[in-house]
Amino acid sequence: MKATWILPDGHEISAEVPEGLNMMQAAVANNIPNVVGECGGNLSCATCHVYVDEAWAAKTGDVGDFEDPMLDVAEAERRPTSRLSCQIKMSPALDGLVLIVPQP
Amino acid sequence: MTVWTPSDDGHADLTSHDTFLNGPPHNTFARLRRDDPVHWTDYSAGQGFWSVTRHADILELNGKPDLLSSARGIRMEDQTYEEYLARRTFQETDAPDHMMTRVKVAKAFSKPVIAQFEKVIRDLCGPILDDAFAKGRFDATKEIARQLPMRMLGRIVGLPDEDLAWLVEKGDALIANTDPDFTQHVLDKMTTDEFRMMPFNSPAGAELFVYAKEMMEKKAASGDTSGILHLLLQPGPDGSVMPEHEFRNFFCLLVAAGNDTTRYSIAAGIQALCHQPELLGQIQRGEVNETMADEIIRWASPTTYFRRTATRDFDYHGKQVRAGDKVLYWFASGNRDDSAFLEPFKVDLTRNPNRHISFGQGGPHVCLGMWLARLEVRVLFEELAKRLRSIEPAGEQKFLRSNFIGGVKELPVRVTLQ
Repeated sequence: MKATWILPDGHEISAEVPEGLNMMQAAVANNIPNVVGECGGNLSCATCHVYVDEAWAAKTGDVGDFEDPMLDVAEAERRPTSRLSCQIKMSPALDGLVLIVPQP
Repeated sequence: MTVWTPSDDGHADLTSHDTFLNGPPHNTFARLRRDDPVHWTDYSAGQGFWSVTRHADILELNGKPDLLSSARGIRMEDQTYEEYLARRTFQETDAPDHMMTRVKVAKAFSKPVIAQFEKVIRDLCGPILDDAFAKGRFDATKEIARQLPMRMLGRIVGLPDEDLAWLVEKGDALIANTDPDFTQHVLDKMTTDEFRMMPFNSPAGAELFVYAKEMMEKKAASGDTSGILHLLLQPGPDGSVMPEHEFRNFFCLLVAAGNDTTRYSIAAGIQALCHQPELLGQIQRGEVNETMADEIIRWASPTTYFRRTATRDFDYHGKQVRAGDKVLYWFASGNRDDSAFLEPFKVDLTRNPNRHISFGQGGPHVCLGMWLARLEVRVLFEELAKRLRSIEPAGEQKFLRSNFIGGVKELPVRVTLQ
């Protein structure tokens, strides 16, 4: 399955992402700048904040109960499409997912 | 004076606080990483424990809080359930309890909110450094490293300046509860169990309890909402309110943990400047990058370990870990793992990325104050480098007597100014 990250300078990085891997882990594995994941995907740090491309926003599901307050903790401004990428798991329905990396 | 090198024989007793009087036993950690990465230690004062010493293993296990729980205690010492309940903070809880507390204060400690303190920190650093440097020869831990975190704590928590020295003294007695320089009630030599329900099993915990209660009453009476404490009193996402004893435990945690770890990071950074003279020039010429503070904090590894407890049996590197076993993540060891860091015993202020684990990265309990710590360390070393021409050791450094908190508690230095 494929995912693409659009960096703040417009540059795009695409990579194969295995099913079940969360998008923070996928970003770290592919050295995507500014997606860190210091808490290992446990909703404690908000350093894996991304904007989901509008076309994919509905498919990535709802913001979780603890994810919601943690999105206010992220460095970049919160938008309606903001998510913690550790909470998005790659699945066949998300093949081709596009994530936008915020400007820090 | 030569660079400090580990002097243990490779088989140091990790349960002994005295072991750490000579600094972390890095020869022992190196042997364990190489030969026995999941190592069993018998413990005379309680149940034995497993030591995990490799960087990659610590990261992996720290990311499995369901398997390795924080809710049975986070130090080597055993606690009864009664003691655990009386003394716990959100550090000693798992999801969802942990998040219920964490989300209340997460924003106050977030990178953008903390970044607003940069000028405050810079303004605090100036007089601290100028006063210390005017002495020419001084103890850098006492005169510099101890000063900044204490004063920032006052700003963050919303406490009056005149209380800070007393609070830090009590915080030291808590967290350095195994060092006779900081407490009369040395944990492993105590003959009473009078304080076992108090934070860190320490009478200083009792005094801080009283202070916290009185201070909150004062703040409530005057409508003072400065600092972060009132955030803790708000209901969590599920409507639950923090019990009073847990609030006071959290206060003790802030006073203790919010202080000493940054202190010993700063001290370790100054120690590094003494032993690697090229570092000062690199900072002055801007030949460092944004991970400078992280490298100093890696070098310091002030929290030597945290403990977890296995929730079920599992096999790891050929060892059978049983449900209920204590498992220690030795961050101090992981931060010197040469499979994660090139030349780990050298301070490299350009190391980037810097995947150190001093903040407990990779797990839900990653340090709440990490952005504050990074900012304090960066700004302090920037301000220090602006003023100094040279810094060198001026006597024997002394380490804290603790296997839990690693730090240079006395660091005599001599400086010349620009």
